Amino acid sequence: MTWRLIPYQSHSAFQNMAIDEAIFRETLKHQKPPTLRFFGWHPAAVSVGYFQDVPKEIHVGRCRSAGVDMVRRMTGGKAVYHQDEITYSLSAGPWERRFPDGIVRTYEIISSCLARGLSELGIHAMLAEKSALARKKERAPCCFSEPAGKELTVDGRKICGSAQVRSHGGFLQHGSLLMTFDPAATAALIQSPAPPEQLRNRAVGVNELVETPVSAEELCEALRRGFCDALGVDFCEGELTPEEKAMSDRLVKKYESDAWNRERKKEDGPAV
Amino acid sequence: MKVFPEDLLYSREHVWVRVDGDMATLGITDYAQESLGEILSVEFPEIDTYVERDEAFGSIESTKAVVDLIASVSGTIVGVNEDINDDIGIVNSDPHDTGWLVVIEMDDMEQLDDLLDAAGYHDYILRQEAD
Repeated sequence: MTWRLIPYQSHSAFQNMAIDEAIFRETLKHQKPPTLRFFGWHPAAVSVGYFQDVPKEIHVGRCRSAGVDMVRRMTGGKAVYHQDEITYSLSAGPWERRFPDGIVRTYEIISSCLARGLSELGIHAMLAEKSALARKKERAPCCFSEPAGKELTVDGRKICGSAQVRSHGGFLQHGSLLMTFDPAATAALIQSPAPPEQLRNRAVGVNELVETPVSAEELCEALRRGFCDALGVDFCEGELTPEEKAMSDRLVKKYESDAWNRERKKEDGPAV
Repeated sequence: MKVFPEDLLYSREHVWVRVDGDMATLGITDYAQESLGEILSVEFPEIDTYVERDEAFGSIESTKAVVDLIASVSGTIVGVNEDINDDIGIVNSDPHDTGWLVVIEMDDMEQLDDLLDAAGYHDYILRQEAD
């Protein structure tokens, strides 16, 4: 089965989340092959997990004064500051047999693809075996403050944070790969019990690990090859269908709204 | 292999159903809770909400994923398990009993015919895992 690849492009936080929801909905509705999309965030943004409480997890006033957008994802997980990084999204239905009906195994397979891609850049990333912090009361709201099971680390520092939503046996997985890690900005925008100097030892960016810095496009190409090699996938470059484009244009209003971002209210009907 | 109570019906979305007249109590199966891992939050529908079979009636969050809860039958939500707000752990520790999620007043009992019995659900899981 050939997968669709939507090449790297930057959009606003609201457009990015609307595009991914539209792709996921259309994938499930029409039993389409998986779509892998790479994207950046312009302007910079903080995204929060579906269940997170924005005022408790984000320094809202600081985000506003820094011109940093805030958006709630439909995927789980914790808050991410998207600036010098690339994000991938992968949408797949249950008919794609490369992925099992399980969260952890799906993480493991996708992480293996990403690790294979990173190895092309000379970066040897490992799968974290389990969350560094096991008790939920101790969990920090910041994604890059601790690795979860089957996420990627380099020398114990997290290089990619991922999160999933599952519906009707299919899934959408988001993941953020840092180009460089800015612990001071992360600590300033996301509520974290760890000060910047501690965060610095917990995450690392791709361009802090390579001799010659790579561009976002070069990183995405390496990751694409990682999926090809690890899963034997053929990609066909594509763009949004007219139906996806129309749906994402409509969904942007939801992702811009306080009702969704502050109160998790779905004004556009069920999530999928 | 897990044991699934004989007095429940099961959907392929890993939701169990206990029928009492036209009332259906729904929860996630032991298989589902184990797949999810530690459950952190449950999003319930409002009382009196009408839910359609095969549509999401809420969602559940584990450590790294949000999973839609798919209704096994159509009807009106008449109860939600508020004990979960006090102790979310019961969804993991006792999913088939005290960790129930919602009660639906069904309007089409024939939809129950499409659900699996315990043996059928057991076989379904084995087939899923073999693929």
